[in-house]
Amino acid sequence: MRHLVPERSRVDQIQRLLGLAALIGMVATIWLGLFVTPPDQFMGDLVRLIYIHPPLAWVAFIAYGMNFLASLAYLWPRSRDLRWDQLAGASAEVGVLFTGLTLVTGSIWGRPAWGTWWTWDPLLTTTALLFVLYLGYLALRRVPDDRELRARRSAIAALIAFIDVPIVYFAVLWWKSLHQAPTVLNPTTHRTYIHGSMAWTLLLGFVAFTLAYAWMVMIRYRLGGVESRALEEQISAALLDRQLEGSHE
Amino acid sequence: MTTSHVAESSAPDAMHEAAIEAVSRARRETRRRLRVVFLVVALAVGFLLYKTLSGAVTYFKTVDQALVSRNLLGNSDFQLEGVVLAHTISRPNATTVDFVVGGTGHNRIVVTNSGEPPELFQANVPVVLVGHFVGATDHFQSDQILVKHSNSYIAAHPARVRAPNGSVR
Repeated sequence: MRHLVPERSRVDQIQRLLGLAALIGMVATIWLGLFVTPPDQFMGDLVRLIYIHPPLAWVAFIAYGMNFLASLAYLWPRSRDLRWDQLAGASAEVGVLFTGLTLVTGSIWGRPAWGTWWTWDPLLTTTALLFVLYLGYLALRRVPDDRELRARRSAIAALIAFIDVPIVYFAVLWWKSLHQAPTVLNPTTHRTYIHGSMAWTLLLGFVAFTLAYAWMVMIRYRLGGVESRALEEQISAALLDRQLEGSHE
Repeated sequence: MTTSHVAESSAPDAMHEAAIEAVSRARRETRRRLRVVFLVVALAVGFLLYKTLSGAVTYFKTVDQALVSRNLLGNSDFQLEGVVLAHTISRPNATTVDFVVGGTGHNRIVVTNSGEPPELFQANVPVVLVGHFVGATDHFQSDQILVKHSNSYIAAHPARVRAPNGSVR
């Protein structure tokens, strides 16, 4: 775990660089998506949501993948460390935010493209399930308890919640769906169905949103560390007060 | 034993009891919160699993499947998927659109939709229709059209030119 806490100034520098790179990437994605890339033959200008919606979903998957791995590392006796739990929590928070944004942008796209804000399609339903599962995971993390016990409970819940991630990814391939199959590196055909500036802008969107994820998790992870230290100090202060009260009585 | 000795020995006992009470109160509160979290998540997950298993995994029937199970379907509502055949779209009035959806081979179903279709509705696109068969016929009455689009994105104007001011048209 030593690699997770390098020197503070270096971490600050990495964090600033990540934030700046994410910002530049996102601005470039939006600019290319809105003003440079052409409209789609069938969807017209509605296609411009593709530069936002799939990268958001991609980041949610990365976030839950990281949450799964960090939870596994916490449960593994040889690597058990509360910082893994902190990382799992930080990643899940960002994942829930991005899942929510995926659902919202999908709904905004679905209204003009499909003709409805929402439908109980397999992909949409399992994504809503994913959102609720990880909201539950975050709620579980907020239940006050002994830190080790809470971390173990949260890690087990994370492993259970992760079962839905591959189901979401394969939903459009396993079942009949209104949602289209993956455009980039389709798992059935291994082909990509977008080309030219549209493809490069989409790729940039994936990179920019991944950087934004890394930046947000880094901030949240460090904030989690500050919260833990503050809590420990509060407990120490409360114990000291108690001892002082006892010695005065 | 003097009064001061009694006071000295009872103070730590009282503190100990207060601490035990505080810990058990915290544990009760934790259990209560865990029950609430579990109940809320279980209800939401249960509802979504019900939706997934009851409808989402068999989200629609294709034209071929609908024609095969025509008698079983009766006049119940279901979701029908097919491709809108070219030259079959007509609008008898402002709120109705008629068209034919096709499956494999010569399988076809005539559709009457009430309500405004989505803006991407057009010939040769796959659609999912929410509705039911009319009477004993193979005529399908729908009240919602959902347009399926493929995963393929193709530039509408691949040979776009750059204007003198640098903008792309």
